[in-house]
Amino acid sequence: MLCEEKVVENKLIGHPALHLYKLVLNGQIAQTAEPGQFVHVKVGQTHDPLLRRPISIAGIDRKRGEITLYYRVAGRGTDLLTRLKENETLSILGPLGTGFTIPQKGELLLLAGGIGIFPLFSLIQAVEQTKVKIKLLWGGENRRFFESAGLEELRRIALDYEVSTLDGSLGTEGLITALLQDYLARNSRTLKFACDFQMQDQHILRAAACGPKGMLKAVTSMCLQESIPIEVSLEERMACGVGACLGCVCTVRGESGNVQRKRVCKDGPVFNGGEVIWDEEN
Amino acid sequence: MKKIDLTPQLTGLKLKNPVIVSSGTYGFGEEYVSYYDSSLLGGLTVKGITPLPRLGNPVPRLAETPSGLLNSVGLENPGLEEFLRSYLPKLEKLNTAVIVNISGFSLDDYAQMVSSLSGNSCISALEVNISCPNIKHGGMAFGTNPHSAEEVIAVARKHTGLPLIAKLSPNVTDISEMAKAVASGGADIISLINTLLGMSIDIRTQKPVLANTMGGLSGPAVRPVALRMVYQVYQAVKLPIIGMGGISNWQDAVEFMLAGAAAVSVGTANFVNPMTPLEIISGLEEYCEQRGYSSVREIVGLAHR
Ligand SMILES: Cc1cc2nc3c(=O)[nH]c(=O)nc-3n(C[C@H](O)[C@H](O)[C@H](O)COP(=O)(O)OP(=O)(O)OC[C@H]3O[C@@H](n4cnc5c(N)ncnc54)[C@H](O)[C@@H]3O)c2cc1C
Ligand SMILES: Cc1cc2nc3c(=O)[nH]c(=O)nc-3n(C[C@H](O)[C@H](O)[C@H](O)COP(=O)(O)O)c2cc1C
Ligand code: FES
Repeated sequence: MLCEEKVVENKLIGHPALHLYKLVLNGQIAQTAEPGQFVHVKVGQTHDPLLRRPISIAGIDRKRGEITLYYRVAGRGTDLLTRLKENETLSILGPLGTGFTIPQKGELLLLAGGIGIFPLFSLIQAVEQTKVKIKLLWGGENRRFFESAGLEELRRIALDYEVSTLDGSLGTEGLITALLQDYLARNSRTLKFACDFQMQDQHILRAAACGPKGMLKAVTSMCLQESIPIEVSLEERMACGVGACLGCVCTVRGESGNVQRKRVCKDGPVFNGGEVIWDEEN
Repeated sequence: MKKIDLTPQLTGLKLKNPVIVSSGTYGFGEEYVSYYDSSLLGGLTVKGITPLPRLGNPVPRLAETPSGLLNSVGLENPGLEEFLRSYLPKLEKLNTAVIVNISGFSLDDYAQMVSSLSGNSCISALEVNISCPNIKHGGMAFGTNPHSAEEVIAVARKHTGLPLIAKLSPNVTDISEMAKAVASGGADIISLINTLLGMSIDIRTQKPVLANTMGGLSGPAVRPVALRMVYQVYQAVKLPIIGMGGISNWQDAVEFMLAGAAAVSVGTANFVNPMTPLEIISGLEEYCEQRGYSSVREIVGLAHR
């Protein structure tokens, strides 16, 4: 869908040095948006910058007709976005792509690296309404980052989470892989049990991850080793956002073992972690 | 309101209106069906097909530049056989003129593709891409030397009765010479321009942005170059021209037609505003009406008076 959405709110959140913004839009998109999908945003009115910018849908409120986006100022395009004011309109293409599977039973392990938490917010929101138990492991730079990027909100909804920071200023010191390793070790008996006995659905553990590529690669291999199915949300530079230009591909192994390309914007951004070929040589 | 005749004059290629969408920017026509009815388009050019499937280049394949886009997709496509089997039947249902863009690495490749595509009644024309900057052999190599360009077109001509479009590369010193070469090779129509070879370097990593180092530049940044080349080709040969390169609105389209394009094609602008082709069609119609023309054909080449 191509539409003009109205800006409800566009404001800096957290520490100014982190340049994180929350943007709430009112319009059509909320009615069909699903967790893990994204919107393609026209950031300016002229030919420069030319392309739209992809931003994940972090919150969906169908009743109010609102979607929430969180963005970090990364360059000219996102900087232009910060100038948008309440009641102005924004040209949006979306909702785009294929999002996360919403589990109805069992347990969901969420793995977030830095601002990779943003698309997971909408997944948390959707899963909260089911019987599924959520556990979040979130790695970030330092305490300031977490306090700016929405940790407060997670506390408010009493989400079960653990964080790691590079400098040890909050949670465990180190990377998210350390948190995951620890988690897997603690749960290895139940996990083993679950796969040995093809446990009934209510004990099934699945994972969903978003973050830098290196992190996604590492957590995917750790999860798959324990036979935990994992979905990953990938990022790639995009032009059309709808699957027409083949600019944003990733490489996957197809069912018959053949190497093939998939479009991050259309077939993803969420992929089955097991199918992704992380280090492509050619 | 008087009805304007929108049909362009393109040897053998019959279109409802002069607005086409460009190869590589519109997939195989499926992606934009939820935005508008593709039967409103003058025509639809599919992604470049090669004899065998290609995975294309590694990512990053895209880099944004001032008012432009560099791409190095590298002709990723399912290959001729799969195209005929899975994609062509769906294209037929879109009810618009389908132009199949083809690329090869040898004269035999072009001969083979042209012959197997020619038997299909739902294909309106073949566009021979002798100008792709993103593959190492063939492609642009054919399109930067007038002799081999003529040779490729002559081979294609021998194997098809379909309208034959020769797509020219702007990466040459003399575009007129290339136009004359493909005209004598037997092309019916000339389309131009393909992308301009360019690059971009990330000063933080100190490496090229594109995994393939170089890529093809498109978008508004190339428009003046494209327009100049259309103007020159119009003077050099009698063949009808499909003009493209940075066209983003109806004013741009009018400019190209005044320079000599019988029809225009929209590429990169689809990414920014998917509705661009339709807005151009109605803009052209209005321009003609306001100026008192009864057909869009009347404005073609007027800048040469
Ligand atoms: C599916 C998807 C979802 C995303 N969700 C979010 C989100 O929720 N919040 C958020 O802050 N950011 C998100 N991003 C990243 C965001 O798109 C980029 O930060 C943004 O495009 C940068 O644009 P810029 O003009 O500010 O930066 P510049 O560096 O000036 O951009 C130059 C070009 O590179 C592209 N580019 C730069 N960084 C990225 C990147 N990381 N991913 C893709 N393209 C990039 C731009 O789109 C632009 O075409 C997402 C990216 C993708 C692919
Ligand atoms: C992502 C992308 C892929 C392209 N792929 C092809 C292709 O397969 N074959 C071809 O002849 N031209 C290809 N082109 C070139 C376009 O068809 C067109 O000639 C060029 O982009 C200039 O027009 P524009 O500025 O309107 O995009 C591609 C262009 C882009 C941006
Ligand atoms: S951005 Fe064009 S195919 Fe994904």
